[in-house]
Amino acid sequence: MIRVLLADDHAIVLEGLRALLDGEPGIRVVAATTDGAEVARLVEQHKPDVVVLDLELAGIKGTQVLTALRGRPAPPKVLVLTAYNDGEALRSALDAGADGLALKTESPQQTLTAIRQVHAGQLVFPQAARRWIEGRGTGAPGDLTPREREVWALMAAGLTNPEIAERLGLSDNTVKFHVQHLFSKLGVKNRTEAALRYAHGR
Amino acid sequence: MPGAGLLLLGVAVKRRDADVRAAASRRLLATSERELQRIVLDMHDGPVQDIFAALSQLQVLERALAPDPPSQVRARQAMGLLERALGEIRNFIGAFRPPGFERRPLGAIIEGLAVQHETLTNQAVELTVPADLGDCTLAAKIAIYRILQEALANGHRHSGAPGQRVMVARRDVTITLTVSDDGKGFDPERVLAREADVGVEGGHFGLRGIQDRVAMLGGTFALESAPGHGTSLTVALPAE
Repeated sequence: MIRVLLADDHAIVLEGLRALLDGEPGIRVVAATTDGAEVARLVEQHKPDVVVLDLELAGIKGTQVLTALRGRPAPPKVLVLTAYNDGEALRSALDAGADGLALKTESPQQTLTAIRQVHAGQLVFPQAARRWIEGRGTGAPGDLTPREREVWALMAAGLTNPEIAERLGLSDNTVKFHVQHLFSKLGVKNRTEAALRYAHGR
Repeated sequence: MPGAGLLLLGVAVKRRDADVRAAASRRLLATSERELQRIVLDMHDGPVQDIFAALSQLQVLERALAPDPPSQVRARQAMGLLERALGEIRNFIGAFRPPGFERRPLGAIIEGLAVQHETLTNQAVELTVPADLGDCTLAAKIAIYRILQEALANGHRHSGAPGQRVMVARRDVTITLTVSDDGKGFDPERVLAREADVGVEGGHFGLRGIQDRVAMLGGTFALESAPGHGTSLTVALPAE
């Protein structure tokens, strides 16, 4: 069961999303608020798995809410819900440590899918945002970057993402991005497959 | 020679007139961005929230209508229409929402635009921005952003190339922006003449608009292209 907290400035959006999510198997809305200052308390109280967060909240800046959530011992996944899909919105969400971005200018079905994806540990951002994580000028698909090879080796050795992050002196999000691209370049679906490929002579 | 004094005075007055006009042009640029910001905010706070909420509710309704297929089809049609409306708003907001001109330096704004272009079009942008690019005046930043946006849009619509190159450089107080591709190319004179005749359609200000923005800031504009030989657009603008 994915437990979801909704935080959005617009009551009608909360009402709509809540109706939609409550009708979805395996998802339950545990709380909803239009007040950004309430988010931290509600997270403490309900311990949601995923927080769906509008960055344009009343009372407090959405990015501040996000940063505060990141500082918790077991932070929930955070999916930023916004009307803007430009560089500015992506940058703000990434900088504040969000796990994904869903758009209010797309079908709500996309938000639903994104909630499941961030809950499963995926980073849900457009591929184009990679340049902010990996630096500019990434190689052609099929070629692993030196960093991706390092991540791959550590993953094959059984390290988790936070452990890899610590080992390489990177942020968790950066490692997640490397893992995401590693999977797509290797054409594998998960860590086990990636480790097997590594073990079988790469 | 009293005449020479008058002449010099005349030159000074002209210079002052030119300065006043240039300052007014710069203010006008900032004002039009603020107006765009306001329109985008109105779209954001009104129709976007309403349509998104309505779509959520409709989706619930659509599921509940499973026992009544004809009604379910109608619900789906309504959802399709609303999604189309949202898509149009998305394009509008994407094109017109000003980035954080006051908050972010020039390099970050250019990067943001490159990411946005790749996300919206799937066309790759090869970006070269020096780490020490520094910042520039608000007017120059706005001009560079809007010019790059237009150039990338043109390159995507017309070049047929899988990617474009964007290079930004700074020498003293001049910022140079070059946008190039290896696509189809065109005859610049014919295109510029046509734009002068019929104006530019579809909310795009075109090459003519790029030249106007450059002229307002006292910069230079160069366009190299020929059918079959790709396109390269270079503008140089004063940063201060």
